[in-house]
Amino acid sequence: MAYSEKTRSHYGTELGSIRTAGLFKEERSITSAQGSRITVEYPPGSPGKEVINLCANNYLGLSSHPAVVEAAHRGLDTHGFGMSSVRFICGTQDIHRELEAKLSQFLETEDTVLFPSCMEANAGLFDVVLDKDDAMIADRLVHASIVDGMRLCKAQLYNYKHMNMAHLEEKLQETQECRFRMVITDGVFSMDGDIAPLEAICDLADKYDAMVMVDDSHSTGFLGKRGKGTHEHCGVLGRIDAITTTLGKALGGAAGGCVSGRKEIAELCRQRARPYLFSNTVPPSVIAASIKVIDLISQSTERRNKLEENTKYFREKMTAAGLDIRPGVHPIVPVMLYNAKLAQNVSRELYEEGIYAVGFFFPVVPQGAARIRVQISADHEKEQLDKAVAAFAKIGAKYNIIGKKKDEVIATYGL
Amino acid sequence: MAVHERVRDFYRNELIEIQYADLFKEERLIHSSQGADIRVEYPAGAPVSEVINFCSNNYLGLSNHPAVLEAARKGLDERGFGMSSVRFICGTQDRHRELEAKIAHFLGMEDAILYSSCFDANGGVFESLLSEEDALISDELNHASIIDGIRLCKADRHRYKHADMRDLEHHLKQTQNKRFRMIVTDGVFSMDGVVADLESICNLAEEYDALVMVDDSHATGFVGPTGRGTHEHHDVMGRVDIITTTFGKALGGASGGCIAGEQVFIDLLRQRSRPYLFSNTVSPVVVAATIAAIDLLEHSGDLRKKLMENAAMFRRDIRAAGFEIKDGFHPIVPVMLHDAGVVQSMARDLFAEGIYVIGFFYPVVPRGAARIRVQLSAAHETHHIEKAVAAFANVGKKLKAV
Repeated sequence: MAYSEKTRSHYGTELGSIRTAGLFKEERSITSAQGSRITVEYPPGSPGKEVINLCANNYLGLSSHPAVVEAAHRGLDTHGFGMSSVRFICGTQDIHRELEAKLSQFLETEDTVLFPSCMEANAGLFDVVLDKDDAMIADRLVHASIVDGMRLCKAQLYNYKHMNMAHLEEKLQETQECRFRMVITDGVFSMDGDIAPLEAICDLADKYDAMVMVDDSHSTGFLGKRGKGTHEHCGVLGRIDAITTTLGKALGGAAGGCVSGRKEIAELCRQRARPYLFSNTVPPSVIAASIKVIDLISQSTERRNKLEENTKYFREKMTAAGLDIRPGVHPIVPVMLYNAKLAQNVSRELYEEGIYAVGFFFPVVPQGAARIRVQISADHEKEQLDKAVAAFAKIGAKYNIIGKKKDEVIATYGL
Repeated sequence: MAVHERVRDFYRNELIEIQYADLFKEERLIHSSQGADIRVEYPAGAPVSEVINFCSNNYLGLSNHPAVLEAARKGLDERGFGMSSVRFICGTQDRHRELEAKIAHFLGMEDAILYSSCFDANGGVFESLLSEEDALISDELNHASIIDGIRLCKADRHRYKHADMRDLEHHLKQTQNKRFRMIVTDGVFSMDGVVADLESICNLAEEYDALVMVDDSHATGFVGPTGRGTHEHHDVMGRVDIITTTFGKALGGASGGCIAGEQVFIDLLRQRSRPYLFSNTVSPVVVAATIAAIDLLEHSGDLRKKLMENAAMFRRDIRAAGFEIKDGFHPIVPVMLHDAGVVQSMARDLFAEGIYVIGFFYPVVPRGAARIRVQLSAAHETHHIEKAVAAFANVGKKLKAV
């Protein structure tokens, strides 16, 4: 064992400094299925506690939906547990193709290729379609997995200020010499729930002859009238060249992701994308359940409608209760507390009140922008949302932040 | 529509070039569960045919083992379908911790951390532990996911010639001024079924004060006297610092992977490793079934024994039939035909005879080293192997490849 005291003490010190900086991530064990009400063991060793879950990406409440679980069971019966192979050797079943076709139909794209996760879809895509003669022009706040994907691609990298179209245009002008350009953005940015201006982006892309890539992980299934995503919401169906999205959030939430878009891009991913070629695809039971999910949301908009209602209800009640929330329409509702310590205290006390919501602070969000990120689900009932608002109001009163503006909170608690 | 004909044409041409170079990967649709006997539609649109599968990583036959399926069903019923969250928000169930403890114990390591795949484990391990002041010294034939993980890490990169201990030592000497060095190798190289010489590697690591990292994806569950992997096979358990491995091959084959090692490594990876922090972990159904797969292997060596007997039988009989194979004991058996054209004809004709195997040729293996890679499984019975050897002999004669 070459692992010496030198290495041990080095890594031990690193861990110590993460703790001292207040950035240590502690996991809480859930002893139930995912849902609006879950049982959590926290701190470790303590008895299980029932709480209302306000921090899952379970937007449509499908993660433990009986029809979805039933479909997963059927998948196990008809297509087994594992493939023990990658797609191009002997790891492709008829149902994998079926899901790919259903996703294309739902997203209104030409073709779709599955990846083990959207992280891997983002890791694989850019390296396949772009080369050193090309340029990637990305919103500054795109997801970590896009950042990693761009790091693995040889194309030149440009960033534009978050959702700033004038700055994007500047970058498009700067890169006129490049062979291909791709504008890269999240459809919805996960910390704020803000929606990328895809119409303006597509217009600019057309004007400057660039492609558009959107990661729609926080919108597929519920944004837009029929829940197709940001491209439907913004009225640009058919104008996005590559959409990446996940099956791991609204669409059942187990695992898997995809690249969906122009058929040449999808086919090139099948031939060349490294995470696609060198890793198992999504297992049969998850495929079967995801097919069921697409069927459910294609047949009825009931769940996305309820999510929209719940979101509106919660946003109105929170505003009426004097909490400071970021305006918007997305089920991601950032409750602004500005100070990191305050966000941690409020999260802890919410948990004591039976409300599970996590605080986010620097470096995940900018300094002085600490918050509790609430995520609404179609699974939430009004009484659960009422209970959550009441808990926020009670704790907010205790910390004297009700009705207070940003400056007042910062004056009291600091940045 | 921003993709103009210019872009479309360019990508179309790329696809055509792939086809001309004979590198186009065509997927075959399987209409059944994974196993020894599977039902395949190939070419697309053709009637489904029953074939014996000799190209999966289903080494122990656990991909559809009744105990594994039963555990998967229970997992679905008790813990639901999806988590819709990452580990540190609300995506950790008690069972995830249980699986981490079980796999760590099985591998003889202090602790383990789950990833959605071993691809992601390899993508997240190096960058979290090493930086500019350090060096990675990697076997030139390591898996693509290790290469990508190394590309994401700032440490100096050194490649040593495949399995060449003198070249490894040369690189260790060259990097003496670095803070930490890490030797990186596959436990078993998937194209040859060759096991890395971990004893020499560990000796060198100790001499030069370097860490050792092994990707044991093609070994966990069946290599070594009790199937713990290449470190057990080479009797260096306790001397390898980091093992990455997969649940997507021998251990049920659905998905997921892990990194196992000393506590402090695992603790740090939980805080920093990007694929761990920014992607859902293994889903409840897979976690439950993988726990059952490991339990099964802890209690009985029967499947491993059967796999090794099958590998030995195929190796003996295919040699007797006049074919050249790479030496070894591993269930990966490369049948060397050298010529890419012969390999492609052979694979096609074997499929017509009901034997599903895949040919590998340049650029996946060196020029002139084209081969059919046969993979044995504990799911194979004697009659499966007999039929395969007979088909190889038959087709080989016809193609004058014996």
